[in-house]
Formats: sequence, C-alpha cells, structure tokens
Amino acid sequence: MNIVVCIKRVPMTQEVDLEIDADGRGVNREPLAYVINDWDNYAVEEAVLLKEELGGDVTAITIGGEEDEEILRRAMAMGADRSIRIDPGDRVMDSYVVSRVLAEVIKGIEYDLVLTGVQADDDNCGLVGIMLAEHLGLAHAAVVTGFTADGNQATIKIELEGGINEVSKIRLPSLLSIQTGINEPRYVSVIGIKKAKKKDLEVIELGDLPLSDEDLSPRTIIEEVYLPPETEGAQIIEGDPSKVADEIIRILTEKGVNV
Amino acid sequence: MDFSLSAEQKDIIKAAREFAQGEFPDVARDFDRDETFDENIWKEACELGFVGIFVPERYDGAEYGFFEHCLVTEEFWAVEPGIGQAILSTTLGAEIISLFGSDEQKRLVLPRLVAGKEAVGVAIAEPGGDWDVAAAKTTAIKDGENWLINGSKTFVPNGASARFVLVYCDLLPDRVQGDGRYGFILVPTDSEGYSAEKIHGKMGLRAAHTSTVNFNGVRVPLKNLVGKEGEGVRQLGSYLDRLRLTMCAQAVGLSRAALKEMIQHTAGRHIFGVPLNSFQVTQFKIANMAVRIKAAKNLYYEAAWGMDQGRTDSNLIAMAKQFCAETAVYCADEALQAHGGYGYIDEYKVQRLYRDAKALDIMEGAKEMELISGVMDLGVA
Amino acid sequence: MSKMGDIFVIVEHRKGEIRSITFEMLYKAGEICKALNHKLTAVLLAGKGQPFASDISKWADTVLVFEDDRFMDFDSDTYKEVINRLILQQSPFITLIGHTSWGMDLAPALSVRAGYPVATDCVDIIVEGGRPKAIRQTYGGKAFSRVSFRESPGYLITVRPGAFIPPDGAADRQANVVMMDIPSDLGPAKRDFVEFVDTAAGEVDISQAEFLVSIGRGVGEKENIDAIKDLADKMGGTLSCSRPIVDMNWLPKYHQVGTSGKSVRPKIYLALGISGAFQHVAGISGAQTVIAVNKDKKAPIFRVADYGVVDDLFSIADALKEKIKG
Repeated sequence: MNIVVCIKRVPMTQEVDLEIDADGRGVNREPLAYVINDWDNYAVEEAVLLKEELGGDVTAITIGGEEDEEILRRAMAMGADRSIRIDPGDRVMDSYVVSRVLAEVIKGIEYDLVLTGVQADDDNCGLVGIMLAEHLGLAHAAVVTGFTADGNQATIKIELEGGINEVSKIRLPSLLSIQTGINEPRYVSVIGIKKAKKKDLEVIELGDLPLSDEDLSPRTIIEEVYLPPETEGAQIIEGDPSKVADEIIRILTEKGVNV
Repeated sequence: MDFSLSAEQKDIIKAAREFAQGEFPDVARDFDRDETFDENIWKEACELGFVGIFVPERYDGAEYGFFEHCLVTEEFWAVEPGIGQAILSTTLGAEIISLFGSDEQKRLVLPRLVAGKEAVGVAIAEPGGDWDVAAAKTTAIKDGENWLINGSKTFVPNGASARFVLVYCDLLPDRVQGDGRYGFILVPTDSEGYSAEKIHGKMGLRAAHTSTVNFNGVRVPLKNLVGKEGEGVRQLGSYLDRLRLTMCAQAVGLSRAALKEMIQHTAGRHIFGVPLNSFQVTQFKIANMAVRIKAAKNLYYEAAWGMDQGRTDSNLIAMAKQFCAETAVYCADEALQAHGGYGYIDEYKVQRLYRDAKALDIMEGAKEMELISGVMDLGVA
Repeated sequence: MSKMGDIFVIVEHRKGEIRSITFEMLYKAGEICKALNHKLTAVLLAGKGQPFASDISKWADTVLVFEDDRFMDFDSDTYKEVINRLILQQSPFITLIGHTSWGMDLAPALSVRAGYPVATDCVDIIVEGGRPKAIRQTYGGKAFSRVSFRESPGYLITVRPGAFIPPDGAADRQANVVMMDIPSDLGPAKRDFVEFVDTAAGEVDISQAEFLVSIGRGVGEKENIDAIKDLADKMGGTLSCSRPIVDMNWLPKYHQVGTSGKSVRPKIYLALGISGAFQHVAGISGAQTVIAVNKDKKAPIFRVADYGVVDDLFSIADALKEKIKG
C-alpha cells in the first residue's frame, strides 16, 4: 500500500500567552516553539504502521520554508521513505489554495491512500484534507479512528459525537483525515534519524507548478485576529490554596453537593 | 565561528526530549522513593539508539560523536536526572574499551550495551582511597595465564547488575614506585571471588544503581587487560575527560529542570494576591539562573566539540565540569528556595533535583580538585 | 443586492432523530432571515418514511425533502452530489452545515465542487453589505478571527455545536414541504455504512453524576491521576476527564466528557487542568456550576466557567483534601 501523508508544522500555544501581531491578522509567532501538528503525527504513525503491515512506501509532504523540513525529517525518521517540501515563497494561502497545491503535487505520485490530520492546531479549520480529496476525486472520510485494509477497499471507523463510532467500508484509493488516539505514535529513534539523513527530501518551488493565479487565489480572507476580552467569563477566586479550598467547599454546599 | 547545531543534532535533541518526557515523569517519584528502576525504560532507550550513541557502527552503535552523547544526556537529565543516570550509566567504561580495547574486547562488550542486553561497570574509587589515581590498592598479579585480582572498589555504577566490570588495578604491587604500574582489566561479574553489594541510602540519583565491589582471588585471562601494561594512568585520564564532560551535560540538564520548576512555580504561586514572579527579586533570580545555564552550556559545548575534533583539552573540561556542577547546585537551590515549604516535601520534583544536584558537585573529582587542576596549568598555582 | 438568495440549512439526523445542531442552525438562520428578509430553507435527505419533515416544519419557510433509502444514513459522497446540484440550481446566499464529524466530511468537499467558499466551526455569523463574515476561534480557542469571503454566488459556513442555543418559541414559521426528485444519475456510492458502535459505555456513568471532578492535560503525569481520584472519592464525586487523558490511555473512554465522549449535567463540574477546547466545553453545557482550576489564566475554560482559580491544580487539590479531612 503506497501512502501519501500531508503534515504541517505548528506553534505550541498551550500555556502560552498569545500576542496579536503588528497587522492584526495573526498572532506573533516569533516567541513560539514549533512541533509537528498533533493530528498529523498520528497520521504519520498510521501510514508507517500500514506500510509495515502491507508493504509499499510512504511519502510525507508539507508546504513551508526550510525550517519546516524538521517535520519531514521526523516523518522519515519514523519510517516514511521520502518527503517533499513545497516552498510557497511569500504567497499567502488559505485552506483551499493549500489543498489545490497539494493536489497538483500528489497527482504525480502513485498512491492507494492519502492521509491528513483532522485539523491543524493553529487555525483549527479542518478543511485541507477533505478539499484535497475532492480535487483528486477520491472517496473520503473525516475524523477516522480505525483502518483495516481489505483488498481494494477498507473498513474504517469514524468518530461521531457522544461516544458513537460509525463503521463503514470505503473504496481505495481514498483520503482519510486521521483523528488523535487512532494509534500510539512511536518515538523517533537515533537510528531513524541517521537513516532519514540518507532519504530523499525533494524541494518543489511553487512557481514550478502549473497552477494559475485563480488556483492560487484564496477564497477566504482573515480580516482580523483578536484575543478574547480578559474580563469575560469566570469569577476569579483569589487567595492561597487554603482560602480557595474553603470557597470551593462553600460553593459546593450552596449548590447542594455534600462533601 | 559557527555556534549552530546541525539539523541532525537538533533532531537527536528533540527525539531524546520526547522520549524522556513521555516515559520518565510518571515513574520518577516512585523510583526515587523506593530506590528502584524499571529496566524496560532502559531497554526501550537502547532500542531507540540513545544508549552508547558514540559506539562505532561496526559494533552496532550509531557512531555519532561524544558531543551527541552529551546532547542526549542533557535532555534526559533535563527531564529526570535519576532516570537519566540509571539509563546512561550502563555504558560507563565503554569509553575505555572503545578507545583502548582490542577488537575482541570491543566485540564482547559494546554490541550488547547498545542492544540493551547488558550493562558495563567501571571500578576505580576505593574505600578510603577515593580518586587518588596513584593509590589504587586493588592488585592484579600475573599467575600463569591469568590475572589474579584482590581488593575492593566502591561507587561502582551497575556493579551488581553489569555483565563486565572494568577494574583499575595496580599491576606491580611489589615495586615501590613507577608510572607503568596501573591498568584496566575487564572482569566478568560471574567470576569466582567477585561480589557486589548495592549501596543504599544515597541522597540523590536513587534510581541509579551503585555498588561496592569485592575481588577475592578473582582470576581472569591475561588478554582481559585493556591495552598494554602500564597504560592505565593515561587511559584513566582519557576516561575522566569523557566522564566529566558527560557530567557537564548532566549538570546543564539538571539546571534546566530546576529553572523550569522555578518558572512554573513562581508563575502559579500567589503571595499577597499576586504571582511570585511579579516580584523583581524573583525575576532577577530567574534571569541569573538562565545566564549561568547559558554560560555553562557554551563552556561544555566547546569542550565536547573540541574532543570530537580530536583536540581534547583536559583543563577546559575540568573548568567546565566545575562551573556546570556549581550551576546545577545553584539552580536547584534557588528553585527549592522559591518553593518555600513545598520544596521540602518529596511530592515536589524540586526536592529531588536539589538532592540529585549535589552528586555532580562531588562525583568524579570534587570541585576543589578540578579548580586546582585547571589553575595549575595556567601557571597560577 | 439584486437577488436575495435563501439561507439553506442542511438537516443532520442520526438513528432516526434530528440532531440538536440542526435546530441550532435553523435558529441562527432564522435570526439572519428576520434581519435581512431572506427565506429559510431546510434541506433534508432522509430514508423513505422517516418523518423528519414535520419535526422541522415550524423552523423553516421551506423544507426540501429528498427521500430515498440511500439517504437513510449519512454518506458524504451522496450528500455532496445531491446538495451540489441543488446549490448550483438555486444559488442560496448562505448554506449552513453542522461542524460535526459528518459536516467536516461534507462541507470542504462541497465547497470545492460547488466553487463556493467555506468557513468552518463558526461561533457567529455577521452579514455586512450583502456579504457574510464568520467569527471563528483559532489556537484551540485562545484567539478569535473574523473571516470574510471572496465574492461568490453563495457561501458555506459550518456551525459550531452549542454556539446558538434556540430559546423557547424560536420555532415560529410554517414550512412548505416540497418533495424533490432524486437525481437519476447518482453514481455508485464509494462508501457503505455498516453500523454504529457505542465506545463510551463503561463501569461509571458520568452522565448521571451530580458532582464531577474532571481532569485534563494539566494533570501532567499518569501517576498524578491517583491523587485526583482520591480527592474525588473523598469529596463524594465522580472522576471524569477530557480527551487527551483518554488518547494517552490514562483513563478508559467512559470517563471522557465532550463531543466525542459524554455530555454531562452535574450540579458541580470541577475542572482541574482542563484548557477548555470547545469539544470539551460542548459536553458540559448542561452543568449547573463550573469551577475551573488552571495555571494558565488565559485558558479558554475560564470563559465558560462560573468560578475560576488561577493556580496549580495540585496545590488546590491538596488544600481541599486537608479541609475535608479536618
């Protein structure tokens, strides 16, 4: 089974105070540390597991600058066979354009399965995967938590709401957006890192792809990014832990919970 | 001058950090309290290639430099020093085999270390004699085809669990003096007359295994001597250079862990209704810790990088070790102080760091000795 | 504005019931229609004899019904095909789709096929000068963004569950129910529904608990869970958690609160170290009182909690244990 897995490098923002950048259309990314998008990490692991089980090869793709190669090397250290970085230059892309560009590159690759994460940790759109499926004319499913291949089709598990999963059969080739928890992503090994160094990391310039201005023009525009007002929401209980505990117990009692 | 790490080195750092953060924190407190360790963590670290990263490919290693070994060490210690020590101490002594051993000795020892099948130990210090390299009282006398070894050693890493222990011996005990009298001998721990006893009640690094070892008429073949007779002092010097460098990395890792505890605690802890870190005195302390950590790191990076370039500078290493260890003790102390009463309880990681840090100050040459060694060569003393 | 297209709402149903996201979308669409004089059209794909049209007839001006047993269960491929044709034919101004697992599978593909731009997971919709703008959250709810669209005959928006809760009396329309012809040339499905599986059944039923002590990523390490379990026991509460805890296999799935876990309605929900991703928050909308403890004062959970404590969850847990003992 030949698999293409699309990945993205995102800033880590948990327990970090975000600042809005100078033009008010994004957050200041300079002080943030970057990692592979969590969902994409599961997608890479799923691709490598399937390759180990069924043979074939895995190609990891990202759109980004040289610093983003870090996640391609990571994917190759985990077991991907080769990788491609599409350099966007200074072009601004939305999910539509990203999916269109990915489709242009992926259609030149032989594959049975394309995997993406459900969404990216930064913009939380959840669009690129399924849009890509449509560009490529593939069967698709979102929020997938299980995959078992069966000839030219596969049985998949889709996570719905309320603890319900849907089991379906899907034709191959297809595109699946992978949900966290589908597997247990492996650690990157030193041997993997050493091997990754010898694997092929191809760089494609956006300008070299046969894409029109229309293909590359965003369908959505971010007008403004802002932080939620701080005063909104909870009444803050101040004081040392002992005082806070007293107050929590008082609230519990008041609301009819006996402790 | 280019201070940047290669992409590969950055990848190794990230991989080591991810593994340590994933596996160490859950079990650290219990290991420390109970003086235990789960060998499966060591085995997994071996499978991932973090152990013996400097071992040549010929002996199943990844054949990176000693600098990369330091990078892994620093990341492991930045998460949990005790577990970092338990895992990475399993190759202590492998440096001696790697540098001076015969092909047969290397084949015997190195692949099994890398594979996580067994550990090696190195026995140098003696009860009472400490690190005085010219005062090893453990003797090895030629007896036909064998060395006959008698004596005892202490602070032997993995002495009770290793498959082989490298023992620093006096090979010519009958002579009154002479440089060429010392050597390292590779001793299988299942030899008759070998006994080891685990040391309990250590202040820190309690997940790591340390032993007192006795040699009571142990016989091993003559070919188990590493290198040639009388090369022991030089071998020991090379080993100590590497050991001290490793300790620099350990110290910087531990300092980072302390800084992290400090930052987290002072951000979350409120006094007089405001977070602790809103006081300038706290901010200064954090800044001071960060500055020292950066200085310590640069010092050891230079020393480790030089070693991989074939330009080992023992004085620089001694200075680096002294400064790094002092930084670790300083950072752990400040972090504990900022925790107030909580720092005194082992529920809080900072207490463990504080206890672990002191080992770096003491081990492998007390800091006073390193300063003397560094300064004497400057022609000051 | 020469032509005022309708506002479409794509009806979502499962196991013979209309899902609440449908009414939330109909409510929001109704508000926009009132302000701007659009007509509200519900689009229903359903199996033969599924009596959904009557359930929603008070919520829309028109219900377009595509009735065929192939539509009994959701299938993005078939839905996409049918809705795309409808959209291109009728050019609705805005089409609302739930930001649910199914909506996430349908909307992006439909957007590409119809050539209509899409914004996902929106918590508010504004119409200015004849163009919609969407308010959505990014960085796990730590920032908001206002998104506008390139000009198009129509726009797609997926709506976050729980963002628009209809008040009583919101259903004040009377729909004209129109049975639609099923396109005769629908291709063979690329996906076949097999079954639903309930993964959240387990020893503890958190959905019935009166007092939940709930943990999130902030608990840090698996070994710390015992301390919180102990706290929950001592306080007479039930232990629950957010998704990362289940993803890491630290607790079984039946402890999980949120869209992919259980919805809960306790008197008190004590959230310890939970950042408050919307998927989690959606599961606690039925809680009477939410108390959140988190070190990160900007954590989104504080926006939905009634009470907040900015501190280390373990310091608070320890203090609570002390108090209860004494």
